[in-house]
Amino acid sequence: MDDTRRQRTAECDCFELELAAYLEGESRPFVPAHLRECRFCKVVFEDLSRLRTLARELPLEEPSRAVWSNIRAQLATQRAFAETAGVWNWFWQWDFLRRPLPVATFACMLILGCWFTAPRNYPQPEPAASLAASRGETDLVRSMAFAGGATGLEQAVRELEAAFKARERSLAPDVKATYEHSLSSLDASIRECNDSLQREPGNSLAHEYLFAAYSQKAEVLSSALEIDEGR
Amino acid sequence: MADRHQQITKKATAMPFGLGIILCSLALPGILVAADGNRSEKTFETTPSPRVTVSNMTGQILVRGWDKPQVHILCTVISPRVEVDSEVLPPNELADKIHFSTHLLDPLTVGKDQTADYSLDVPMGSSLEIRNPQGSVRIEKLQSDDTSVETVGGAILISDFSGHLFVRSIGGNIDVTRASGRVEAYSITGDLHFVSPETSKLRATTTSGRIFFEGDFADGGDYSLSAYSGDMDIVCPRSASFELSAKTVRGKLENEMPMTIRHQPATPLSSANSLFGTHLTGKATVSLKSFSGTIRIRQR
Amino acid sequence: MSQQKTAAPKAASETQLVGRAQRGEEEAFAALFEMHKRRVYSLCLRMTGNVAEAEDLTQEAFLQLFRKISTFRGESAFSTWLHRLAVNVVLMHLRKKGLQQVSLDEVDTSQDEPVKRDYGDNDRRLLGSVDRISLTRAIADLPPGYRTVFVLHDVEGYEHNEIAEIMKCSVGNSKSQLHKARMKLRDWLRQNQGLMTAGEPVASDQAPTER
Repeated sequence: MDDTRRQRTAECDCFELELAAYLEGESRPFVPAHLRECRFCKVVFEDLSRLRTLARELPLEEPSRAVWSNIRAQLATQRAFAETAGVWNWFWQWDFLRRPLPVATFACMLILGCWFTAPRNYPQPEPAASLAASRGETDLVRSMAFAGGATGLEQAVRELEAAFKARERSLAPDVKATYEHSLSSLDASIRECNDSLQREPGNSLAHEYLFAAYSQKAEVLSSALEIDEGR
Repeated sequence: MADRHQQITKKATAMPFGLGIILCSLALPGILVAADGNRSEKTFETTPSPRVTVSNMTGQILVRGWDKPQVHILCTVISPRVEVDSEVLPPNELADKIHFSTHLLDPLTVGKDQTADYSLDVPMGSSLEIRNPQGSVRIEKLQSDDTSVETVGGAILISDFSGHLFVRSIGGNIDVTRASGRVEAYSITGDLHFVSPETSKLRATTTSGRIFFEGDFADGGDYSLSAYSGDMDIVCPRSASFELSAKTVRGKLENEMPMTIRHQPATPLSSANSLFGTHLTGKATVSLKSFSGTIRIRQR
Repeated sequence: MSQQKTAAPKAASETQLVGRAQRGEEEAFAALFEMHKRRVYSLCLRMTGNVAEAEDLTQEAFLQLFRKISTFRGESAFSTWLHRLAVNVVLMHLRKKGLQQVSLDEVDTSQDEPVKRDYGDNDRRLLGSVDRISLTRAIADLPPGYRTVFVLHDVEGYEHNEIAEIMKCSVGNSKSQLHKARMKLRDWLRQNQGLMTAGEPVASDQAPTER
């Protein structure tokens, strides 16, 4: 019989089943006992032990300089670095305050709260229920349309616009151009509707279009901010 | 992909020089083709109606329905710094949800280098959700309970669709041909085209784009088209049976279809043009609105 | 974790750096990066086996760190927190890539294939001659699941209960995968031992596997 051909026995199978647990430090008396008898399994055991030692001693690798350059560039684009020390740094620690939708929501809730508690001496604007019920509106816009009418929506749009202006530079040029074209189209429609309503305050279609324009503007701005945030 | 390229290179350098030259020259067209982009292809076994979602940045996305319970994807990227990932649920069984997304390995990859083109064959009953901000989307032959497509500037082209379709683009044109079921289409500056619609419910809105509708109205159908400043052209057959409500604040209204005038609006719109009437037996409901665009209703 | 060494002065200066980074100081960001970049990068490199991916994931890990640094409250050591974040970034990447990496261009290999048995082997001791470069190559060639468990446990020093929590599997599964990973590494190194000692790089498809 060729001495180099291994004769695998049932004990070797049992050894292999127990080996993993033994290497983890669990008590397995069969393992050291078998190691004394079987030189093949002893080789396996020594190999695995050596592997573990080598693995723990693997040296740390160094990344290229480009890694920090890229990180720094991204953080600079996101304005992560404070320009001045002081109260604004404390303010900007609150991550949620840098996100436009929570800010807009909070501002709108505040305005709606004032609106609900303010004395009423003018008729409420007619909500454009048919357009607001469409799936094309964001949930935020829908809830505001239901609760607050055009005033709350206008305020939300202003907040979103400010957030968009602060971050529009990070959009790709063609995307930015598309958004700007759309926003200017919506702004034109808002101006025209307002002109129309000044002449005819009761024009329901103009009301409907005005509300729709604000809703669409909110949606367009939200969509631009979502792209910027990489969603 | 990089490992395979390394393997190919290592094998080539080990060959005799002359044989290597010959093989390289034979392989040149293939290299040139491969240099146009990195392709990858995969087929997933799925349930009969899986949900497939795609999140891309720019490029063309083409989706076609087929009768196999499989999703087949062929994607091509221009830059090796762009990768297409797939996520399948559940992981070790027939897929019920598959998500494909394009992501950048290098955040400084910009412009056309971000391009990833997708060609997907999906079971006809699949639900789709596709986001392709800077690219175009085309969908053909689908019977889907729930399909939504969104782009920013890219065009959306849908044909031979039945089910529930929601499409939205900020500046891209939207073309829907031979669609039945429920369709909602929104654009701000893009044009909306509906050709041979068989929809029971259609809602379409654009701000400065135009709306073009050519076809019949389904019995019992509900059609609501709204353009702010863009013109609206409705071309329908003489046999179309619909109840019409058309109004515009500053635009013009032009109608060729004989109508039975229904009633005058209750709310005064003294500077508005409006038309409320019925053509034939008024089986479908059609609402056309514009602020300053012209509304034209013509007979085919 | 085995490599965690935090001497008191280093911990104090790191705490100061974290505080300054939370206030947005660029120098503090840079210093934290310098302190931890090698550990994070090495983890990413060993779990992906690919330099470009590892650099991208290192960037992503630090970007996430800087975005989330304001939420660090000091309940654990900063290095532990960062390391766990980096592990999650890599695992998320591997999960997303899972099928594409394995299947879009290659034949899908199950992670449950049986580990090779030493039938017919002689008593050559393998690993006296194996150096760290060979081991690094061998780790890179492991299937992703085995590679992850091996790197987390034997290289990075995570315990099985931690690995089970990170990888959403059972402790038993983690132990079993680790054993299979070690056996697979051993087989790979045995097959490539001659070529390794000659200093030639070995392409992964040239590593024969016995059954």
